[in-house]
Amino acid sequence: MNIETSHIKKIYQEKTVLSLDGQFSDLLFESGKIHGIIGPNGSGKTTLMKIIAGLIAPSSGAVLYNGQPLCQDIFSEMTYSTHTPTLFSRSVYQNIAYPLKIRKQEKNAIDQTVSQLLEEFEIDDIKDQSARHLSGGESQKIALARALSFSPKALFLDEPTANIDPKSIQIIEAALQKRNREQGLTIIIITHNLSQAFRICNHLTFLDQGSCLFSDRPEKIMTTSHSTIDEFISFNRF
Amino acid sequence: MDYILNGFVEAFRLIFSFDPEIIQIVLLSLFVSFSATLYGTLIGVPLGIALGIHHFRGKKVVSRFLYTFMSFPPVIIGLFTALFLARSGPFGQFQLMYTPTAMIIAQTILVTPVIMGIVFNHASTSGYEVVQTGKTLGARRWDILILLVLELKAVIMIALVTGFGRAISEVGAVMIVGGNIRGFTRVMTTFIAMNNNMGQYSVSIAMGLILMSISFFTNSLLYHFILGDQNEYRD
Ligand SMILES: Nc1ncnc2c1ncn2[C@@H]1O[C@H](COP(=O)(O)OP(=O)(O)OP(=O)(O)O)[C@@H](O)[C@H]1O
Ligand SMILES: [Mg+2]
Repeated sequence: MNIETSHIKKIYQEKTVLSLDGQFSDLLFESGKIHGIIGPNGSGKTTLMKIIAGLIAPSSGAVLYNGQPLCQDIFSEMTYSTHTPTLFSRSVYQNIAYPLKIRKQEKNAIDQTVSQLLEEFEIDDIKDQSARHLSGGESQKIALARALSFSPKALFLDEPTANIDPKSIQIIEAALQKRNREQGLTIIIITHNLSQAFRICNHLTFLDQGSCLFSDRPEKIMTTSHSTIDEFISFNRF
Repeated sequence: MDYILNGFVEAFRLIFSFDPEIIQIVLLSLFVSFSATLYGTLIGVPLGIALGIHHFRGKKVVSRFLYTFMSFPPVIIGLFTALFLARSGPFGQFQLMYTPTAMIIAQTILVTPVIMGIVFNHASTSGYEVVQTGKTLGARRWDILILLVLELKAVIMIALVTGFGRAISEVGAVMIVGGNIRGFTRVMTTFIAMNNNMGQYSVSIAMGLILMSISFFTNSLLYHFILGDQNEYRD
């Protein structure tokens, strides 16, 4: 799914937290790619992602999905997950099955899909546990499995691997890359982990204080001569 | 100090004598407060959820009003209800004053804000998250409603029991609109207040013990429900 934003602006109580204009007034998140959004705390990444995901409305500007404005059909083909997900108070299995249940899928088909995801994310052993009493990392993996269960066309992830152990990070990245490769899933991912961004992203967007400073292929960010970006990158290298 | 000990001895004798008048008073109390809680739930739960999950201008003001009403003195609510139900009041023609119906009305006004406030409070925090999450997973209107009630069911139970607890234990409202008429509108709390005034401590204590047992029982049910909640999610 191609996603284009145009002159997006978000104002909270007279405070402008996001304002895309000038050189980067229009952003294109190309279909079938993995896009990274990076930038310091409070730069507007989550705000931009929620606007793209259709969860909050921009104060001005527009988002187009394959050239169309948002409608229920497009909305139900996209999904959004964060590092602090809300799981439903039912079993892990039932959480992952939820999107399929409301889409009225057959019990056997649901069982097959959910079992595969449980195995892929290595959470098979907790499938009958209540999703209310899990570790942060477990919750994140379940939320991601739940988001992937109904094979969305676009996936928006807000720091999905924050607080995740290295092996699980690898599982998650592999799962994302697999679906991107095999199903052409369009992914937008916010991350503070620059090496992760370079590992999996085909495109990077850099936000700072509500403005976009960079939006291009990842390797090009090394050659921009913007002091904010340079500083950001130098802190990521150790 | 003897009268206290004697009061308790006499109280137990009274309880196990199964006096028909006492049984009738207990049953009426339960009926009135259960009814009020039922109506309070029917009004308060949907309204609390609806107000909670939506963002709108003036939401803060609404919540402040709600929290104020949650702790409104029962006497004031009794007085307010009486003004409307009295013979010369706007609903005087229905002749509801000094009837169990009047008591149910007053207690419904009393418990609705309690139930609504508790549900509202949780719906605006965790409920909002649930709605957002449901939406991102493709849930439509009905799916979201079902999801919300399931997610908030422990909270709804807490609201219900709290509301019932407030209703069954209040004396001000039922006294004013019911009038403590023997065999007709006399309930546990008005019975206790009256007997205490007349120095009949043992019957007061007896009824007090029954009232406490009922509170204990309903709260135990609640705790059972909340604690049972953690292990019940298996397919
Ligand atoms: N609901 C809100 N009301 C008021 N201000 C908000 C709201 N949501 C976000 N903001 C403000 O908008 C700015 C951008 O927030 P946002 O969450 O988009 O940042 P971010 O880039 O995701 O930061 P982080 O890396 O810390 O997650 C912040 O200054 C924040 O205080
Ligand atoms: Mg953020």
